[in-house]
Amino acid sequence: MDTILDILDELKPGVDWRGRTDLVDGRELDSLTIISLIAELEDAFDVVVPAVEIVPENFNSLEGIWALVRRLREQGL
Amino acid sequence: MTSYFSAAFLLAFLPATVVCYQLAPRRARWAVLLAASYAFFWVLSGPLVVFVIASTVSIWAAGLALDALASRRAADLARQGVDRRRARRLWGRRMRLALVVGVGVNLGILGVLKYAGFVCELLAPLGCALPPAPSIGLPIGISFYTLQAVSYVADVYRGSSRADRNLARLALYLAFFPQIMEGPICRYDQTASALWAGEPVTAQGLFSGGARMLWGVTKRMVVANRLNLFVQTVFGDPGSYDGGMVALAAALYTLQLYCDFSGTMDVACGMGRVFGVSLPENFRQPFFSRTASEFWQRWHITLGAWFRDYVFYPVSLSGPVKRLTSSARRGLGNRVGPAAASGVALLCVWLGNGLWHGAGTQYLLFGLYYFVLIWAGGLLAPASEAVCARMGVARDGALWHAFQHVRTLLVVVAGELLFRSSSAVEGLGLLVRATLGFRASSLVDGTALSAGMDAADFVVTGAFVVALLVVGVLRERGACPLEAVWRRGAVARWAVCCALIVTTVVFGAYGAGYVPVDPMYASF
Repeated sequence: MDTILDILDELKPGVDWRGRTDLVDGRELDSLTIISLIAELEDAFDVVVPAVEIVPENFNSLEGIWALVRRLREQGL
Repeated sequence: MTSYFSAAFLLAFLPATVVCYQLAPRRARWAVLLAASYAFFWVLSGPLVVFVIASTVSIWAAGLALDALASRRAADLARQGVDRRRARRLWGRRMRLALVVGVGVNLGILGVLKYAGFVCELLAPLGCALPPAPSIGLPIGISFYTLQAVSYVADVYRGSSRADRNLARLALYLAFFPQIMEGPICRYDQTASALWAGEPVTAQGLFSGGARMLWGVTKRMVVANRLNLFVQTVFGDPGSYDGGMVALAAALYTLQLYCDFSGTMDVACGMGRVFGVSLPENFRQPFFSRTASEFWQRWHITLGAWFRDYVFYPVSLSGPVKRLTSSARRGLGNRVGPAAASGVALLCVWLGNGLWHGAGTQYLLFGLYYFVLIWAGGLLAPASEAVCARMGVARDGALWHAFQHVRTLLVVVAGELLFRSSSAVEGLGLLVRATLGFRASSLVDGTALSAGMDAADFVVTGAFVVALLVVGVLRERGACPLEAVWRRGAVARWAVCCALIVTTVVFGAYGAGYVPVDPMYASF
């Protein structure tokens, strides 16, 4: 999860990523930032994030992003 | 019966359908809705109903094929000792083929019926001799139900929806009569189950649905029909009017389009409520937007969401664009880099959005106009923030917000001016005249009152705009006026319905001297 935190801090410094559960709904993560985040996640965790996974539930919190990465790794995508 | 606003529809077809629906046993109510939907389609498009049937059968078959392939892929991957990477590639290829066929059939029908003539026109000056485009006509709502058909096949392919084996349920999902003319563009998971459930008609559903319909009818009859006279007069012969009149016509056309389209959506969502189906909202106070990008998250919401989910994200996540995004981010920084790379996906979205509205150069220009605005907005955001900081402008202050609202309003009106023109060349000419050649004199010397609307028409329109603003502010603050009225009891409910009917009857623009607006979005 620390790796994801580092990526998020690099993409958008100054946001309290740990305490938030409305990153998409609260517009901290807009579509452009999500696209950049996905590119970084794919490099860092050797996963492929399909378009169907771009739903607010997966990106509204740090835990949600981490759960998505774990799930994709388990699926071996 | 020509639209949802015709007397035959409102006073005969809809009530008869509601009565038959309620009298039918619950398990057969879907059949009433399907029969009504196809009857409605037949009345408006006649034998062209075969195209919606073809779309339905094609997505049904594509869904079943994708489902079968997904099952076989899962079984293959579960086998011991299988080369999983190779198996995934193999089944992935087969599923992509089914997806391409399912989507291709639907986009192909739309392409031939709607765009073949336009392509021939574009290529003719280049000396490309194509066979003449078929002049079959356009089935009602083809642009809307085709996007629904594509979304269903894509969702089954991606695994976010299950393939439906029930052909009748898919047929109803695609052709449900309240949404077939102008949307909203629904996803399978949003409406298919509710349409099939056959929920009974309730008193609350009748009131909230009926009142919402009345509100939509009022918007259209009082404002859209009234403005039609002015808009048609000026845009019918734009060469005879100066910049001030053209600018005023563009502003009134924007208001007319909003009242026509959002009024139709009120009627569609109201009808849905009567049948216990919650259709997705298409408008969320669009004129309260502060940027062009936000405007498109509030105006025709389901179209924007469709392009986001089925064009923007897939293009952005394709290998080449992802690599471009990563390298742009490293070269240009975290903000400007992704914004620059997003140009590829945004261009696809806005060319698609423009052309979806119609086969004409003005629609291409309309799409490119928003592409440039939204792309440039993303690229210039850091520079804009730096300039504001240097000038001491508080970007979260009321003054800056007011500036943003006015700027977005002007941008939207200019866009609608291009959209309403008969060609891109005419649109650019009118835009130049309405801006560089703007003169306020024609707005005050009586010219504005000689183009189809008199002073009383302007007063009625102005009063209704104030009513729209009040309702908009209430909704923006989270209030739901219809629910509030429902809670106040029967007297309040009847009072609201009667007030809307009286307003429409007294102030509606109908009868001699008025030309009703053709359902604008139905022709897209």
